[in-house]
Amino acid sequence: MQEMPLDTASIARWLEPLARTPDETADLFSESRRETVLAIENGALAEVATRRERALAARWCAEGRQTLVASSGGGDAEAREAVRRLRAALGRSPLPMRPGGLDEEPEDEGSTAAPRWARRLPGLIARAAPRHRLTATIAESRREIVPARGAPASFTRRLFSLEGTIVAASRAGDEPRAFAFHAPESEQITEELKRALSAAAEPRERPIPCGDGEIDVVLAEGCAVVFLHEALAHPLEAGAVSPLSALADARVAVSELEVKDDPTRLDLFGGYEQDDEGSTPRAVRLLDGGRVAGRLTDRAHAGPRSSGHGRRGGAFDAPAPRGSNLVVAPGHASADEIARRLDNGLWIEQLTAASVELSSGQFRLRFPRARRVRRGRLADECGPGLLAGEILPALAAIEAGVGREVQPYRGLGWCARDGVVVPVGGAAPDLLLRRLRVRSLA
Amino acid sequence: MTGEDLSELLARRAPGEWELYGKRGTSRETVSRAAGATRAHRDEEGWAARWWEQGSLRFAAASSPTGLRTAIEEAANLTAGAQDSLDWPSGAFGAEAPEPTPLPEPPELFTELARQLAAESRGEAGLQELTIRVGRTAETIVNGRSLRAALSGSRLDGVATAVGRRGTRACEARVAFRWDEAPDTAALARRLADRTTLPLSEKPSPFERGELLLDPSVSSALLAALAGLFTAAVPRWVSRAQFASPAITIVDDATADTPCDGEGTKTRRVELVREGVLRGSLCDLSSAHRRRTPPTGHGVRPSYRNAPATRPRRLFFETASAVPPRELLEQVRRGLYASALVAPPRVELDADRYEIEFCGIAVVAGRAQGPVAGARCRGRISELLRRMTRLGSDRAFFPLPDLVGAPTILVDRTSFE
Repeated sequence: MQEMPLDTASIARWLEPLARTPDETADLFSESRRETVLAIENGALAEVATRRERALAARWCAEGRQTLVASSGGGDAEAREAVRRLRAALGRSPLPMRPGGLDEEPEDEGSTAAPRWARRLPGLIARAAPRHRLTATIAESRREIVPARGAPASFTRRLFSLEGTIVAASRAGDEPRAFAFHAPESEQITEELKRALSAAAEPRERPIPCGDGEIDVVLAEGCAVVFLHEALAHPLEAGAVSPLSALADARVAVSELEVKDDPTRLDLFGGYEQDDEGSTPRAVRLLDGGRVAGRLTDRAHAGPRSSGHGRRGGAFDAPAPRGSNLVVAPGHASADEIARRLDNGLWIEQLTAASVELSSGQFRLRFPRARRVRRGRLADECGPGLLAGEILPALAAIEAGVGREVQPYRGLGWCARDGVVVPVGGAAPDLLLRRLRVRSLA
Repeated sequence: MTGEDLSELLARRAPGEWELYGKRGTSRETVSRAAGATRAHRDEEGWAARWWEQGSLRFAAASSPTGLRTAIEEAANLTAGAQDSLDWPSGAFGAEAPEPTPLPEPPELFTELARQLAAESRGEAGLQELTIRVGRTAETIVNGRSLRAALSGSRLDGVATAVGRRGTRACEARVAFRWDEAPDTAALARRLADRTTLPLSEKPSPFERGELLLDPSVSSALLAALAGLFTAAVPRWVSRAQFASPAITIVDDATADTPCDGEGTKTRRVELVREGVLRGSLCDLSSAHRRRTPPTGHGVRPSYRNAPATRPRRLFFETASAVPPRELLEQVRRGLYASALVAPPRVELDADRYEIEFCGIAVVAGRAQGPVAGARCRGRISELLRRMTRLGSDRAFFPLPDLVGAPTILVDRTSFE
């Protein structure tokens, strides 16, 4: 992608008077985004759409107050105009700057990844599941942050998403199944995508209703990251008021449980090299030996000690502390051992939606299907259903004997909070939770 | 590169078979909290093109004309399946927007709303965050059939977040609002108070069956969830003649909002259900072409980033025999008043299933008996629509995200869980 022609030294000089004290932050964020959307139906490319966007925002924040001036465009002239308007909004003296029109957007070379996927994907999907209606999104985003003090930062992320429905065989006939796969875009994900499609299209029994009540569940195949994203990452975002807010260092789960939020895992969907405030991110331990260990912070909440979790959906959103990749350390139990310990309950490998209400700590997880486990053996298929609970009892209900194989969960891709959507991901071993509430959605 | 250059480019690529959309939006937003506030000034520009080339319809969007030219070339280089072109509309709508005046800052309402919420909830609920946005948009649509449309609009909307607390229990609510006239903080405070404090009672429904009285916010959300019945192929379970009770008329009419939709088709009133009989459906250019019917003016663009799609624009219940909501309450012998939803309605249109979860008030002989923290109704959509027997005169519109309007509605013979 074409470098954006920002005069970072001049921009930093214009911003510098807005950040005179250590408590003040002023920066300029710029994003250039390229996206190709391919609608694929039954082995053929049905529709294509392309998007090119550039936008930037100048921001000032201090002591809980924040001002953002954002606009489309991404050149020096737009940056200068954004800073000028930011200074005006803050009541500061205008910049002594030369007049000038807005920059013409530079032209760049086309995407090479999109045509490659457009050629390859329809056949690749059709081999695993001949009937399908899926949408692939290949996105490339280059972000640049110019702070008032310190070095500018820039990074590029390439993401691939494939979502929609495939029609799979079941004993009772055709069955539409939801499919989602999110991964950083690269050549290497092809094999993983093939495996995911084949697994999703496997012939299975048609599910029966799973019933209502309390039940023990195993969250397998890495889908525990969805639960922990809701139960740990959101409650431990700086500024969030949740049941975990006053429990720093308190033991809330088994000592075997080690959970961190790790943006440096670039092999996962939520990874990045710099956060959207220019801070270098670091992995934050959320649970250390089962104890609440850390919080996800941005510059507004931690100044220069930010953990590098200041994230934006785009230039038009103000940064806020958000989770990235939820990673759970492996334990020692095999899948067979965990199934035996579960004895009777549900074995869940896919969670398709989740939400949490932070003030009460109540969460919900939706699963499209599950396997019943009877006397430690996988039995009939059931679903769809809803798992519900409260954060603290659910964390306490995670049983010792965490799975030993950590698997990335590619079904988790985007997290929306207050209308701001950011990419997230994660990897986890199998977890056994006792007595969650389950409700059939069949 | 300008809009005219893009029109010429598209005309060369797809003579007579193209459309160019441009949008400029500006907004001022204030996010207020007890400690601190965020102010945002946003100026957004967007461009989008659709054109029929090499036998398929293509779409490209960008934040500048130069970006759109590149996006058009990229989309043209990808080979998609064969599609028919569209029956592009022609005509002229609106006039060029006058030179814009500076937008005012959003009104400061945090303190006032917090006070009203505290009073409504008897001190149990507190306002956590209030986002208020003042915005203005100007859109232009031109196409290869001489369409020239210039649309403009302004709005005042936002989101309020509140938390109710009783002992160790807490309940959070996030309510979106849009004010077409003066800010109505009193109604917003009532909605927030109900949504945050009723679930704190932890009392289940005292009845398993009875009448259900839907608050306008609940019936609007339900209507929004059922909108798919009017935009896609009619499911097999639908009986056109007995779609709903004779009290129900459902209309989409955005004629007072803008003269045409996001594709340049003239806005008109569409009667979807009249006295219980299903009579119409909503179409954009694409679905109208597939169904071989004229478009109804419902090609909606929530953003320039996406191609237009069929959606309602101002969908609402209508009735000739509306009664004051108090009269509806008096008609409840034993049942529940659903004051607020605690989760989005869940509908499976093909399977004729719905489910709503709500908090509310138990009612016996038209009198409130006490709060109900949570209840659930589920069953067949067809039965629900036929059991909506009376409509109130208190219709209100809600951003869901398109405007949907409904009054208080009385539903007979409902099961509660």
